[in-house]
Amino acid sequence: MRSVLEASRLKQAGFTAVQIAVLYGMTALCNAAVRWLHLSVPGSIVGVLLVFLLLKSGVVKLSWLERGADFLIRELLLFFIPSSVGVMAYAHLMKQDGLKVMAVVVVGTALVMTVTGSVAELVWRVRNRQANDARTEPNEVNAS
Amino acid sequence: MRVLGILLTLACYAACKWLYRRVHVVWLNPMITSLVAIVALLRIAHISYAAYDMSARWLTAFLGPATVAFAVPLYRHFPVLKAHWPEFLLSLTFGSATGITGSVLLARLLRLNHIVVTSVAPRSVTTPIAMDISQAIGGIPTLTAVFVILTGITGVIVGPWLLRLLRLQSPVARGALFGMGSHGIGTARAFEYGAMEGTCSSLAMIVAAFITLALAPPLVNALG
Repeated sequence: MRSVLEASRLKQAGFTAVQIAVLYGMTALCNAAVRWLHLSVPGSIVGVLLVFLLLKSGVVKLSWLERGADFLIRELLLFFIPSSVGVMAYAHLMKQDGLKVMAVVVVGTALVMTVTGSVAELVWRVRNRQANDARTEPNEVNAS
Repeated sequence: MRVLGILLTLACYAACKWLYRRVHVVWLNPMITSLVAIVALLRIAHISYAAYDMSARWLTAFLGPATVAFAVPLYRHFPVLKAHWPEFLLSLTFGSATGITGSVLLARLLRLNHIVVTSVAPRSVTTPIAMDISQAIGGIPTLTAVFVILTGITGVIVGPWLLRLLRLQSPVARGALFGMGSHGIGTARAFEYGAMEGTCSSLAMIVAAFITLALAPPLVNALG
């Protein structure tokens, strides 16, 4: 029983690995295409659009990619640890301006969130009112 | 050193994730603890960043595919985006513009170094894309990666408080607030409010990346 369970887990891990390899290959292809065409867009952005369109058109099935994609997104943090360790090389900069940088990050983030949340709420209310008006319009005409 | 960098990173990441699951404190986010642990270990062992990165860059190579992987949630939740596209488009355009101009103006007000200004500007979007934008506008991608994490953690702390203060009723607005303000780290928090909030947050995060990519170069140029 246990070995059957382990075999199926192994098989699933294999699927995930193959799907990650496919995503890796597609990214490499998009990077090469962007370089070749001299585009100023990152290859990964072209990749997102390409894969989305392939899924939408049905050329690629969701089940072909979703295990690998979900894994990469779930473990996203891992892949940018090496880059962030690079802050070692800028230790002098952080020692000098660390507090100021934190102030920019905290105030800036609060501003971004306030603006985004408020605008979305406003648009949502306006659209809800319009939808309600459209539904109750006959009554209002009668009332007036 | 060839595989040591990878092994060190994997081991620290696994240990820090385990710790975070046991002790659920925002400041113990595995990103922060792994970073601190690795930097400390490299310092103690007198290993330079260049030597570590020779090996660890094999992990960085997966950032591109991980970005492309976002096509899957985009496809899965496309109906939600379609139903609420005016909310997403307007709020994320204003949010993204606020993020870039706000960072640049604040950083200048505090007389920060120009390279820090351009590195801090794209920090509201998910890391791989923030690093690409940073490169495009003359920042240091590595520094941007650190700012992105700090932003994510700040958002998780400030977000719930702002949500109450602004009295946001709509799950779209709540989700957009987290997705735009603190990307993936915020999205995890948004799911604690509800499935719709979390879905909107992940959609906001993906769309915000596209909008910021389009807005950052011209805005930073204009603010020059």
